[in-house]
Amino acid sequence: MTTTARRTFLQQLAALGAAGAASPFLSPDAFAEQSWAEQFNNALETHPWLKAYRSIGQTAYEATAEVTGNWPEDLTGTFYRNGPAQHEIAGYRYHHWFDGDGMLQAYHLSSEGVRHQARLIETYKVQAEREAGRALYPGFASIPPEPAGVTSPDSVNVANISVLPHHNKLLALWEAGSPWEMDPETLNTRGIYEFSENTRGVPFSAHPRVEPDGTLWNFGYVSGANLLVLWHIDANGKLVKIGKVDADPISMVHDFVVTSRHIVLMVPPLNYEPSPDRPMTFLDAHVWYSGEATRVLVVDKNDFSNYFWTELPAQWVFHYGNGWEDNNGIIRFDAARADDPFAMIDTFRQVMRGNIVPGSSSHHHQYRIDTSTRSIAEVPMFSPDVDSEFPCVDPRVSCRQNRKLTMLSSSPSTSAIHGSLNEVSTFDFDTGERKLYRYPDHQMPEEHLYVPRPGSVPEQDGWIVGTALNWRDEQMLLNVFDVSHVDDGPVATATLPYALPFGLHGKFAAG
Amino acid sequence: MMKLTENHTMFRVILGLTAGLLAAVWTEVVAADTLHIHVTNVPSSEGQIMLQIVASEAEFKGEAPAIVSVMQRAVEGEMSFSAASLPPGEYAFRVMHDINNNGELDSNFVGMPSEPWAFSNNATGNFGPPGWKDVKFTLESEVTQTIKLNR
Repeated sequence: MTTTARRTFLQQLAALGAAGAASPFLSPDAFAEQSWAEQFNNALETHPWLKAYRSIGQTAYEATAEVTGNWPEDLTGTFYRNGPAQHEIAGYRYHHWFDGDGMLQAYHLSSEGVRHQARLIETYKVQAEREAGRALYPGFASIPPEPAGVTSPDSVNVANISVLPHHNKLLALWEAGSPWEMDPETLNTRGIYEFSENTRGVPFSAHPRVEPDGTLWNFGYVSGANLLVLWHIDANGKLVKIGKVDADPISMVHDFVVTSRHIVLMVPPLNYEPSPDRPMTFLDAHVWYSGEATRVLVVDKNDFSNYFWTELPAQWVFHYGNGWEDNNGIIRFDAARADDPFAMIDTFRQVMRGNIVPGSSSHHHQYRIDTSTRSIAEVPMFSPDVDSEFPCVDPRVSCRQNRKLTMLSSSPSTSAIHGSLNEVSTFDFDTGERKLYRYPDHQMPEEHLYVPRPGSVPEQDGWIVGTALNWRDEQMLLNVFDVSHVDDGPVATATLPYALPFGLHGKFAAG
Repeated sequence: MMKLTENHTMFRVILGLTAGLLAAVWTEVVAADTLHIHVTNVPSSEGQIMLQIVASEAEFKGEAPAIVSVMQRAVEGEMSFSAASLPPGEYAFRVMHDINNNGELDSNFVGMPSEPWAFSNNATGNFGPPGWKDVKFTLESEVTQTIKLNR
């Protein structure tokens, strides 16, 4: 399909969707929304792994896990997770995985065992919709019947992407608005968090980068203003500086990397082009231009007004593992790279009504930027049949040179019936060796993190800790692997007596 | 032929003018319309409430002066305004609470309003400010709108 044809096609699709939602006469919405819930429930009977996209049945969960295996006695702290969980409100089922209201989870790990708790995040939106008794607001890719107006990004902030323990605060993160401050013990919602009065409501992405000394860098994108925002916050949570970079046309930017000297962001050619003539969802206001460049922004950490742009072929990246820079000004980073964003545009939309549509898979690439020539190059890291996502590194080498990488992966020849990534992999850049553990088909792994063993040498010792949904037995699992022997399988597992919806990202807080 | 046409045209112009004048006089005398605006959710009695009523898209966009501009010291809770003697037609209005008395709607680092605001019809737009079609309404005899300040 040519760029123009694809653009027209997408716009027509979007217009169709919008026209349906806006019709004041036929009121097809009640039927249509019921139909999404019905279609999903029907599909659930034949594809029980779709439980990953079921709405939560209650707004709070609490249980003590059953622990099997040899729990490492020095693995103590809290493993926090976040993700879309309330996918249905008063019978209205959202039309996209990313629309669901966020639920914060905490797995408290101690020598006495594993205790789990989960709470729906009490955003303005959740409170208003509870009071109204129905879904009110247009979301990422959904417009409920008779929608209420969006008065600010934070009025529709669902706080559903990630979580950040930083400067003794616990923040639940979305990417188009403010962080929400949570109580780290009770998981109760304290309210919108502001780093300063002048930055209240300024977008703060769900993927801040924290250097080993606690210095925090983040970005945000402001679609209506074609702006990228850059944040610099010290280890004590004090806003050091904030900056703006014009990025017309703006796109969705989900993650970025930071080195010792630079900030690197990719702006894919998924351009924000809202039309005033039709009510559109945020996702449908974007148009993909497959023939245009992905623009790469490289910014001086010390001076946000000092930056340059370079270009790559059109591509879509949700997540980066890590970025670092050598003494010659060569930046290296890795990313799970897809050819286009159609997993987000199609797959994660259709799955909400039980339609299983394969999306473009992502393959891990390594990138090299020469800051003296302002050039960039990319190379695939694995064979083309290795899909990857959720890359991460030992937080002690964040923004510094890393020699190890952890990620979820899968290969077509050994894919699971649920079609999601079914392996956790570790990769050693020095030896080129990849080790992996393949989950059984009835378990769907979520993001896995590198948790350092206290007092050990960075990247030499610790655990890979991650959760999985056991859809067959309706349980959640928290698995612990030895970082050096992930292929041996989990050394310990904590099992919860309930299943929860597939989440997105987590962070580990030692202690 | 030419002359006739010119005469005709002239006649039509005069007729039209007369009709327009008559209409204007009639409007002023008989059908001057009134707009009542109740503003709710005023967060405090600090600063001023600024209200602008506009009678065209150009005025709404700030390309022409608004037909009515009013400032009044804020009163926490609810406030009411009325504008009389407005010719019938399409109107819109905007309200802002200038809490710090600096004469403008303050915004945050990326330009989003940080002081309370509202538009006629309680229009909010969708991922951006509302357009003329969202805010306009027809004024005939008497119209009352209750508007909640967004904050």
